[in-house]
Amino acid sequence: MKRDDGVVSDEFLNAFVDDQLESAEKSHAFDAVGHDDTLKERVCELRGLKEMVKHAYAHPPTRVPAVKGRRSRASYLQALAACLLLCIGGASGWFAHVWTGMGSDREMARLLQSVQRNDIGGEPQKLIVHVSSSNPVRLKSALDETESLLDAYRRTKRPLQVEIIANGGGVDLLRADVSPYAKRIGMMQEKYPNLGFIACGQTIKKLREKGVDVQLLPHTGVASSALDQITRRLKQDWVYIKV
Amino acid sequence: MKILSLFSRAHGFNDQLEQSRVRLYRVAYAWSHDAALADDLVQETLSKALKNHGQLREPEMLNSWLFGILTNCWRDHFRQQREMEDIEEIEDFRCVHETTPEDEHAQSQIVGRVRGAVARLALGQRQVLTLVDLEEFSYAEVAAILEIPVGTVMSRLCRARRALKEMLQELAPAQSAQVSHIRRVK
Repeated sequence: MKRDDGVVSDEFLNAFVDDQLESAEKSHAFDAVGHDDTLKERVCELRGLKEMVKHAYAHPPTRVPAVKGRRSRASYLQALAACLLLCIGGASGWFAHVWTGMGSDREMARLLQSVQRNDIGGEPQKLIVHVSSSNPVRLKSALDETESLLDAYRRTKRPLQVEIIANGGGVDLLRADVSPYAKRIGMMQEKYPNLGFIACGQTIKKLREKGVDVQLLPHTGVASSALDQITRRLKQDWVYIKV
Repeated sequence: MKILSLFSRAHGFNDQLEQSRVRLYRVAYAWSHDAALADDLVQETLSKALKNHGQLREPEMLNSWLFGILTNCWRDHFRQQREMEDIEEIEDFRCVHETTPEDEHAQSQIVGRVRGAVARLALGQRQVLTLVDLEEFSYAEVAAILEIPVGTVMSRLCRARRALKEMLQELAPAQSAQVSHIRRVK
């Protein structure tokens, strides 16, 4: 218990604190600690350290939030998205259809404004363009129309924010090795800081599971899923258009 | 009936393993301070335990047996990393990462500070400390789990606590000098 110099060793005190002493040794230790304030202080310190370590790891962080919870949340969001899309769909469905065939940005702006007046009200400042098909004609028309709209708003000095969200086949638009419009997208991003490109995380995941190496264009965002992103934007009063 | 009892025994073993998951994870996290790595280690430990459950002679030794497997998985992890030539060096290897695993802003909090200090301990000391403090294994059990003599367990534990005390004092210097007593001023 004691070293030659009469000092109780740290090993012994640790064993005492960890309850590793034989009963005879333990009662000696209790006696010694009871009569010596310095010893008492050392024992207290060791106990304090032990408690702190226990406390520090009582709730270690987990790898990811519980998968089950995430799933249910995702499905809840999907349900919400479906409801919202149904509501908006009625008003904007016909418009989206017409829009893909539109040539004039003025007409486009006018139509957008009419949708705004009918559905949400106010100036159309925020717009989501949803691309879900890999059909090059659709992809081109999405870029053409978005660009002409951005241009029209810039000329009239009205603020506009556009987010192109791609899922399913539409993700091809944003894949570095597949996109037919990689250069054009790069130029558009440079020209319009108010234009964003978002790819659907779920689609990318599915592609990767199939063994496809998905490389996105620079400055492309990835949302947990396109539906999540669209729902979020709709809640923030963005206008939704599907190409 | 024999088959049924065998099945129920196997089922009970699975339950016991599942119950040990949290404890294994806590220790694995305290060794690695990396949630993903800790998760992998625990998963590997449990799958090895399932595969080799015939090797467990005494059921009451389940816990130390499991932590022994965890120790081996942890060693294997280092071997795969090939960060060092000599596997024995692992025991004295200091930080797994250059920085402490907690975010800097968490340093101000007790939990973050203690985890940071534990992470800076030499690995051998960290293992002994966490097995004794978190899992309350006896020194003899820790010696068996880590396959080291009891004397080494005691000396490592002693060094670990000394170092921990110093580190925590460094982080939170004695407050006595800073304490300002409130006085009533009329």
